[in-house]
Formats: sequence, structure tokens, C-alpha cells
Amino acid sequence: MSIANSIVSSVPVFGRMFKVESEPELNDINFWPAAMIMASFLWLSVAVLLGIALPLTQMLGLDASLFYTAITAHGAAMAFPYVFQLMMGVGLHRAGGCVGKPVTGWLPAAAFWLMNIGGILFTIAILMGLKISYAVMYPLPVVGVATGQWSMASVIIGFTGIAGILITVILLYPVQVIKMLFFDKEREELVLNRRKLSDPGMLGMAMAAFVLLIMGSPLLIVASAVLLFLYGIVPFAWIAWAADPMVFQFVFYIFAHNLMEAMAIMVVSAVYATLPLYLADGTRKLYSDKMANLALWILLLTSVTSFFHHFFTMFPALPSALSYHGNIMSYGTGIGAAITIFTVTMTIVKHGLRPEAGVMAVLMGFTLYILDGVSAIITSNIAWSFQLHGTMWQAGHTMAVLIAMSMMWMGVLLHHYPVITGRVLDAASGKWFVILFTVGAMGVNWSFLAAGAAGMPRRFASWDQEGWMVYGYLILLFGLCLALSLLIFLINVSKARRIDTGMAASPAE
Amino acid sequence: MLEFIYQSGWGAFTVLLLFQIPFLLVFLTIVFRKAYVNSEPSGITDADVGKWRGRWLTLVVALFLIINLASIKFIPAVYTARAAAGDVAAIDVTVEAQSWSYDMSAYEFEVGKPVRFNAKSLDTVHGFAVYHPDGDVLFTMMLVPGVSESSLIYTFTEPGTYKVRCLEYCGMAHHDMSDEITVTEASS
Repeated sequence: MSIANSIVSSVPVFGRMFKVESEPELNDINFWPAAMIMASFLWLSVAVLLGIALPLTQMLGLDASLFYTAITAHGAAMAFPYVFQLMMGVGLHRAGGCVGKPVTGWLPAAAFWLMNIGGILFTIAILMGLKISYAVMYPLPVVGVATGQWSMASVIIGFTGIAGILITVILLYPVQVIKMLFFDKEREELVLNRRKLSDPGMLGMAMAAFVLLIMGSPLLIVASAVLLFLYGIVPFAWIAWAADPMVFQFVFYIFAHNLMEAMAIMVVSAVYATLPLYLADGTRKLYSDKMANLALWILLLTSVTSFFHHFFTMFPALPSALSYHGNIMSYGTGIGAAITIFTVTMTIVKHGLRPEAGVMAVLMGFTLYILDGVSAIITSNIAWSFQLHGTMWQAGHTMAVLIAMSMMWMGVLLHHYPVITGRVLDAASGKWFVILFTVGAMGVNWSFLAAGAAGMPRRFASWDQEGWMVYGYLILLFGLCLALSLLIFLINVSKARRIDTGMAASPAE
Repeated sequence: MLEFIYQSGWGAFTVLLLFQIPFLLVFLTIVFRKAYVNSEPSGITDADVGKWRGRWLTLVVALFLIINLASIKFIPAVYTARAAAGDVAAIDVTVEAQSWSYDMSAYEFEVGKPVRFNAKSLDTVHGFAVYHPDGDVLFTMMLVPGVSESSLIYTFTEPGTYKVRCLEYCGMAHHDMSDEITVTEASS
């Protein structure tokens, strides 16, 4: 038995949900993805509880440190060990099935262990007192030590955890994808749905891998230098260049911005792959592959340098020319999104739709993604940025993009679940999950954006000022709706039935 | 009208809904109809698809151009340059942010007199956001330590007590990092 399958089998409750019982010849594309998907839902459960705790700490008037602990742990768990790991698991399974290459060896194993051990170390550091938000806010970690807010030990443990996560996201996962797409030897028995690189359902996966590798490398170098100093291996003078706040802020946002864009490109690609499988007339093709690929190329080229929108409010430290460039490129991503909207809509119009839970989750996730795109381009306009930067508007944008991608990936997972596990899900539960998740996500998102419009600061442990608590109540209400939908999803997964002999592995395959 | 749209969070929220609601209505209607009402393939021709694609992309590009071009005069770099070139000399104010307070060279200003806020951080990343007495954010500046200064010129138009808040998370007492400035009627 593979180590990955042993891990899944040995975990209580969640192990049963993702245990691989499908055809043994597919084990090489199922075992590690199943372990990653299972671990991602463990992290999600923690993140949901912390997310609900956030407004509760404010409503009950609890100590501010509890709020900052919860917000740091919630953000960290959501962004990396949950959403990224879910994407990694489902994405690697997809890639394996499309090109007939195994997800085996030390690379996926290292990606799994470093992501999860990294996440655990960062969580331990947070519990030790390190409250730096998931965005690190450098040089806050060292300023916090100097001002007695937390210990240097917590910073070292936290940075070690972050390093594990970054190595997974920037190196291991992209290298594994590139290895599978361009190098490994094909095994006929692993091919589930053959795709070429020019296929829109595949192109985004390759683009995302290169974006992560290229745009993340500077951060990996800077973070490694800082870590070497923290470990006492090199003197500060050797890494002073990396410790400069401007250097760290820029390499961080070049990575973090492009991480979100890469994940978006990859999930849009997964939408392009999944939607045709559920068309009513059995066409199994988008209305135009060329338009779909054009949208991916526009998204790729415009998103890479639109990260300047994170720094508009530093004027004049960020030269105006770079602000204008960031503004224009951000709207360029909007053009890519507009072409995607047209491609998805016209495909549905031309060919009709079979409304099954997987594809409906993908489409509702896509809807949330476009709604969030509107909030993103508004705050990427320089004039509006000076009203909205640092408010709940931006927290809402970050949360919405993670939730939207999460829903699209869960939709893709619903499609792949029978192939991975050998079990089928209940359609009625799937429908309720989609409805409640959509309502909860839209409600939470609008509550955040309205709070931002009202000037409520993000990452701010005092919601009782200026009447902002009303947004807190709305966030809690819709957050509970989201939590309920996820509970239904997990119950559905835990009650999945074994596929009978002769039954199709997936209704769309 | 433009002042409301580009100089307040609620203006941004209004534009947000003007984009989101039509998309939601059209997209969800199409998905619902093609999934549950009539999932038969439509007879739409390639020529019609081409026409709709052209119209859609023209609409999107036009809307993007309009909202960005209309925003130019509200960009701080633009109104700062205009104020600097105006007849009334700007009052220079230095702002030093440090966990978790501000040290400002002046706290009282007059309506109609341009104020140049030159702000910097002495320790970690901070924000310097000025709130109108009614709660709207007038502007916010991100202050990164090691960067010379963030700077812009703002001309207050109404008297009152304006709140200053940090909008960049800066540690355990981030929520307490605030101050007040007073704007009085023009003296003469």
C-alpha cells in the first residue's frame, strides 16, 4: 500500500471521505491527490471555525489578541493549506488523467509533507503569539519582537513554516506539473480524457505552473536569505539587502498577486475542461477553443504586472507611471474575464446544460469569481484605491476570490470524486450544497464590500466603532450559511456509495 | 455626481452594483433556462455569435474607458499637481507614524487651504487615512519604512473633527492607532 493511501486510511472521519477504492490501475494518479484533498478539507474545517470565531470575538467583546490570533490563523489556513492544496490535489489528478502520467515519486510526497508541516509550524507560531496576518506585513515580525509583542522563537518557527509552504507552492508543485506535461513517459492505462497542451482545459495548468515558478522565485530567494539570518547561519550584513522592507514588500506582492492570478488561470482552465462534459447535446466542446485560449493569454499577460495596484497609495514612492501601468493592466485582466464570460455563456446557449451538482458548483463558483472580479477592478482604479485600500473592501476581495476558486475546485472535485475514490455522491445533497454555498458566499462578500465602502478597516479588532458592528452581524449570518453548506458537502462525501460493477465512474465520463 | 462616485466608498459600491447586478441577472437567467427550462441546442448562427461577441466586447471596453477616464481628475497625483500649481501655497505638514501613534507637525487646518501631508513610518508598515466627520474615507496613504515619504495635497472643504486611522495591520494595538485633526472655517 502506498504511503499516501496509508495516510488517508489512518485519518479518522476525513480518511473515510477520501479513501481510494477505485480501479487499482489508476492508483498512481489517485493516491497523492486523495491525500492532498483530504488534508485540504481538514484545514478548511479549522479555517471555518476560526472564520466564525472572528465576528464572535467582536460581538462578545473578547480580548483583541484573540481576534488577531484567529485572523492570522484563518487567513493562513484558507489561502495555502486549504485552497492551494485542494487545487494541487485536484489539479494533479486532472493533469495525470489528461496526459497519462503518474503522480508518484518524491515530488508529490515532498509537496504534501512540506505544505502540511509548514502549515502546522505556522499555526504553532501563531499560538505562541505571532500575529502578523497571512500577508506577513514585513517588517512587522521583527518589529513585534523589538516591541515585546511576541518572541523571536515564534518568528523563527513561523518563518520555517512559511518556507515549507513557499517551497511547495513555488517549486515543488510547478516542477511536478512541468515534469508531467513535458517530460514523464505516458502510460496508456492512466489516460482518462486525453488533452493536448493547446486545449483550453490544459493550457491554463501549464501557464499557472510557469507563473508560480518564475514570479515566486524572487520571494523564495529573499525569504531564504532572511531565514538563514534567523537561524544564525549568516550575519545580518550578508542579508541586509533582503531585509529592506521595500524589497520584501515588492517580492511578496509580485508573488502573492501572481499566486492568485495563477490559481485563477488554472481554475478558469478547469472550467473550460469541465463545462463541455455536461452539455445537454453531448457536444463536449466549447463554442470556441480559440476564444478560450485568447482569454487565458490575455489573463496571463495582463495579470503579471498588474500587481502595482497593491502600492498605489504609496504615492509618490511608487512612480505615477507604474501606478498608471498597474491600473491599465488590471483592467486588461477584465478584458480577459469578459472573453471568458462570453465563451462560457455562449457554450451554454448553443448546447444546453445538464444541471448536475458538479457543473452547477463550477458555474456558481465562476459567477462568484466574476462578481469578485468587479470588486477587484474597482479597487484597481487609482482614484478609488485611495478610498478603499486597507478597508474591508480588500478583505472582501481576498476572501471572495478564495471562496470562488474553492467552489469551482469543489465542483471539479465533485466531477472527479467517483474516479478518485470509486464512490458516488448523493445528487440532492449536492444541490443543497451549491445553493447554500452560493447564497452564503454572495452575502458574505457584499457584507465585506459594504463595510469597506463605509470605511471599516480590515484586520481591525474594534468593530464597535462608527456602527460597523452591523456588518459583523451580516458577515456572521452569511458565514454560518457557508459553514452549513460545507457541512452538507462533507456529510455527502462521507456517505458516498461504492460504485456498482458496470456503473459509470462519472456521469460525464 | 462624479465627486460622490470617485470620492466615497459608497460611490464605488454603487458602481460595483451597476456592474454586478446586470451580469448576475443575465448569466443566471441563461444558466437556469438552459439547464431547467429548455436545454435544447439553440439555433444561433456563427454570424450571430460574432455580432454578439463584437457588441459585448465593445460594451466592456467602452465602460472600462469611461470609468477610468472620468476618474483622472480624482487621482491624488493629479489633484496634488493641480493644487501645487495653484495660487494658494500649500501648508506643509509632516506626519511620523510609529506603533501605535502619529506625531504631526500641525493638527488644525482651515477650509479651502491646501495641506501637503508628508508622511513616513519609523518602524513597520502603517497607514494614514483621514476620515470625514460623516465616516467616509477621504484618502489613505501607505507608509513603508525606509521609503522617503508618501505625500499628497488635500484641500478640506468642510469644518469639523476629522478622524485619522491606520489602515495597515501593524500589531496588537493596531485598532488603537488613531488621532484627530480639526478643520475650521476660513479665517478671511
